[in-house]
Amino acid sequence: MRLLSVRVLPLFSRHLHPLALPINTLRSVLHTLRSRAETNLQFRRRKNHRLRDYRGFTEVSEEEKRKLVGNVFSSVASKYDLMNDLTSVGLHRLWKDRLISKLGPFPGMKHLDVAGGTGDIAFRVLESIRGVGHKVMHDSFVETEGQTQIFICDINPNMLNIGKKRAIERGYTNSSYLHFVEGDAEALSFEGGSMDGYTIGFGIRNVTHIEKALAEAYRVLKKGGRFLCLELSHFEFPIFKELYDYYSFSIIPVMGELVAGDKESYQYLVESIRQFPKQDVFAQMIVDAGFQSVEYENLVGGVVAIHSGLKL
Amino acid sequence: MKIKSSVRYQFNGDRLAPQKGTMRPSGGDSPPPLCPRFQIPHRGRGIDIPPRPFQRRTSASPASADPFRGTVAAAEGDPGRGKYEETQARVFIAALPHTARLGWTESALIAGARDVGVSPAIVGSIPRKDAALVEVIKSRFASPIIDQRDELKNELKDLTLSDRLTKLIRIRLEMQAPYIAKWPQALSIQAQPANLPNNFKQRAELIDEIWHAAGDSGSDFDWYLKRTILGGIYSTTEVYMLTDHSPDFRDTWVFLDRRVKDAFDLQKTVQEAAYLAEAVGAGVGNTVKGFMAGIFPGSK
Repeated sequence: MRLLSVRVLPLFSRHLHPLALPINTLRSVLHTLRSRAETNLQFRRRKNHRLRDYRGFTEVSEEEKRKLVGNVFSSVASKYDLMNDLTSVGLHRLWKDRLISKLGPFPGMKHLDVAGGTGDIAFRVLESIRGVGHKVMHDSFVETEGQTQIFICDINPNMLNIGKKRAIERGYTNSSYLHFVEGDAEALSFEGGSMDGYTIGFGIRNVTHIEKALAEAYRVLKKGGRFLCLELSHFEFPIFKELYDYYSFSIIPVMGELVAGDKESYQYLVESIRQFPKQDVFAQMIVDAGFQSVEYENLVGGVVAIHSGLKL
Repeated sequence: MKIKSSVRYQFNGDRLAPQKGTMRPSGGDSPPPLCPRFQIPHRGRGIDIPPRPFQRRTSASPASADPFRGTVAAAEGDPGRGKYEETQARVFIAALPHTARLGWTESALIAGARDVGVSPAIVGSIPRKDAALVEVIKSRFASPIIDQRDELKNELKDLTLSDRLTKLIRIRLEMQAPYIAKWPQALSIQAQPANLPNNFKQRAELIDEIWHAAGDSGSDFDWYLKRTILGGIYSTTEVYMLTDHSPDFRDTWVFLDRRVKDAFDLQKTVQEAAYLAEAVGAGVGNTVKGFMAGIFPGSK
């Protein structure tokens, strides 16, 4: 409200021509949004050297980042799902549905969902496999259904606990399908060539060394296995970008404060989104890890991007 | 490393059935420029789908069709790039025997992937899975006509035109005879609006191939007419075959023979039809003139 009140005053000045009012309003609002967003970003960038560890500049920064990420998710774990719904206005559900429809799960699949602590993606995979389409299968596939294994891997035990609770709530108590595993995306405990699918939803930007995570993904996938990554990415439309920046830097941390009681974590979240490589650069990194047929799809104009690759 | 576009897979016979031989000689190949509407790009053996340029893909809602997509592949000379298409082709071919049991569906593709030794997750990366399977298999069925044109030429030399056409269509339909049980499903998949364009393209290609193998003497007037008529004969025979329970599809071949003879036996049929039309037109013209003269006396 302070923002608007400062700019509103000149509009009622007698010195302005009446027709210039709307144009001036728009221009001044945009100018303020842009400069405020830039100020925020610059301020944050100068203050937080730890964010530059994405390229691995200093060891100390990496440690800090790991600890910071650990702290962030420990403190937001209980309100993680609620905050997802609030900040994305419920859209994250559609994004995850899109991810699953791109994946195309099948019965007998061995799937690994990394950084999927609260289980959103894994539950969707399971429901997709159990869904109507596969009920018309013939006998030959019934025996493979028992072999469907979905592994949920997360570095943070609090998030895994939330996931386990949600699994019980939904009735997935049959432990032969879902497995909760604590592990690091950069050093997975699974054998090489054991997974049909690998998904990572909103997790790869929190990883200290993205190349290592991609290499690990390549290692655990079977021949023909698919890698899918759903991540908040770069949004480039000229005018809406200002609104998006304003929403990210001014509204989301405030929401975090009100709902989860943690403004710092959500500020870290928004900054880490800006620090993450652009869609094309990230796609190139996936190619460098050895994947074939790499492509990405922008959702909501680039707010979210789904990158996919195939191991052959 | 350069970022180039990647070609996913192509529907023509080139990729799946490696061709020997070269581009067809140009005599009588190109369609006459009279009706640009019906231009079917004709470059030798098949219709090439050009590689997709690098594009960004956005969608307002995840469920809508995406007009753009970003694609990254390794540099062009990388063997990995061909590997994807090759693996995909092998999966499609391995899926064919399973269609008898599972139909033309994703399940058949998954079974095919398992046979090839590749994780069935690869099926998820194929857009329009069942339609792709149908298209790829159909283009494989057309390969005897394309590949073995030279051998066929000897067989066909001594036959009349209608016999040649009958034999060629029969060769093509016999390829799909083993899979006739689930063929109606394949046809219905191809009839879906999203898949119709490819269906038409493939059909046009096939008829073109058949005409060339039969020794098309290509005159301007007849080009479209011949292909349209033969396309009609092919479609009706295919549908007839679906309900034919005679041993070895004897009734279908009789049906086919009769249709082709009706349409193409007399070489002069088309020319005669033209004369007839002229005569009728002239007659009609005279009648109209007389009629007008009756109404407006004194007019020419």
